[in-house]
Amino acid sequence: MTDALSTLARADAARLKSFAETLVPEFAEIEVLQSRSGLVMLPIRDTAKGVAFHLGEVLMSEAHIRSGDAQGYGMRKGHDLEASMAMALVDLALTQGIAAERCQAFCENEAAALSQRDIETLRRVEATRVDMETF
Amino acid sequence: MAYVATRGGERAIEQSERLFREAMGGFDKARVTEIKQSLPYLIDRVMGEASLYDEDLAAIALAQTGGELYEAVLLLRAWRTTQPRLQVAAPVEQEQLFTHRRISAAFKDIPGGQVLGPTLDYAHRILATEVLQGADYKPAPVDPAEAPSPAYQPSVSTWQAENDLLDLPDPDGTEGNDIPDLTREPLLFPSKRAHTLQSLARAETGGVLALGYAAMRGYGQAHPTVNELRLAEAEIEVTHPDGRSFSAGRVKVSQAEVVDKKGEKLGIGYAATFGWNEVKCIAAATLDLNSPGADKGAPTEEEFFLYHTEGVESSGFCIHFKLPHYVTFQSSLDAMRDAKAKKAAANIAKEPAE
Repeated sequence: MTDALSTLARADAARLKSFAETLVPEFAEIEVLQSRSGLVMLPIRDTAKGVAFHLGEVLMSEAHIRSGDAQGYGMRKGHDLEASMAMALVDLALTQGIAAERCQAFCENEAAALSQRDIETLRRVEATRVDMETF
Repeated sequence: MAYVATRGGERAIEQSERLFREAMGGFDKARVTEIKQSLPYLIDRVMGEASLYDEDLAAIALAQTGGELYEAVLLLRAWRTTQPRLQVAAPVEQEQLFTHRRISAAFKDIPGGQVLGPTLDYAHRILATEVLQGADYKPAPVDPAEAPSPAYQPSVSTWQAENDLLDLPDPDGTEGNDIPDLTREPLLFPSKRAHTLQSLARAETGGVLALGYAAMRGYGQAHPTVNELRLAEAEIEVTHPDGRSFSAGRVKVSQAEVVDKKGEKLGIGYAATFGWNEVKCIAAATLDLNSPGADKGAPTEEEFFLYHTEGVESSGFCIHFKLPHYVTFQSSLDAMRDAKAKKAAANIAKEPAE
């Protein structure tokens, strides 16, 4: 899976929107191909017989934009069309090499924040590990 | 069967809905947020039964129906039909689940160890009545460990297959729109396994528990042992228009493997659902374990349990009986009166002449 896209999809919505706004003046004309909410069906694999089956659908927001030959895409969980559009803008900038250093730094900072949050969660989970003894 | 048109109830109908909604009053975004934050397990249950994952929508449905769960699920199932399907994500694999809780009742020393995660299993069931006297309810905070728990673990069944206790399933390459989908195809019997597991994933919790419990108590053929119970978050792996795949976020899922110990190898049943709902998964996996070879009409037979645990259909069928059945009921009464009159006439005919 692509790390930058996965990071942008889970990045803090407010920070993502603020950052994407700073990129807007840097683009030439942008064509919005899609900006909508919709559903993504999520399958999972059954461990008994190995069959993939559908758990259900997740509400997502999607944005698809184009500038010249380059395209930008955003898809995030929940209904927040501004956030998915912001993701698409950062993706487009990364593809076109616009504000490359700032975009990479933004992604790295957000990835670090997400990773730190996961570590905190897992430290709390680890506190519930059973050190089992039998007599 | 005959239908007659009636009128005269318009005002009563409108006022009855107002009377229902008046009890809850209006609600705003703050109430939706409060429901979402304070009742995550109820939100999970509603999302699972609606087979629509969004905490905000589930909280709105609960606020709007005053917690009438069947109505809340119906609202969400109806709403989902208004939305386009953007993609089918890549199938979630066990070893990619971000794991919060993973326990086994079958083996003490499962690889990766036993991690209890969030649970009330060992809690004292004492109602916090002191809150009514004005005291705050403040649970003690978790003392985090120094090192994080490993996020990813294979299923316990994989480890058992390595130890020749189970046969590893054949790889199934079905993905995307080729995966059978109950929201677009009818449920036919014998059911495709993908349909069975999808139907159980969106089944009504109480119904699954009732039939699963019947199997556990002895009306099934196999006694379940929980091989693995897991609460986790699954990545939603989608595809960029240029072909790159990425995770568009995580959703909470729960899953259970249950086994029985007949023959030379273990028998295994499986179930999973959106949200964290252990009872539903263990009960559903028990039904899956028991269904092969079950007698027609038994609670563990797939047609029986799949039809009877579909919450929207079953609750809808149940409540339709309160709607006017005047014509059919009058017709039955006429038949009863006619039979009674004929019986009386026959008795008179049998009496000897004076």
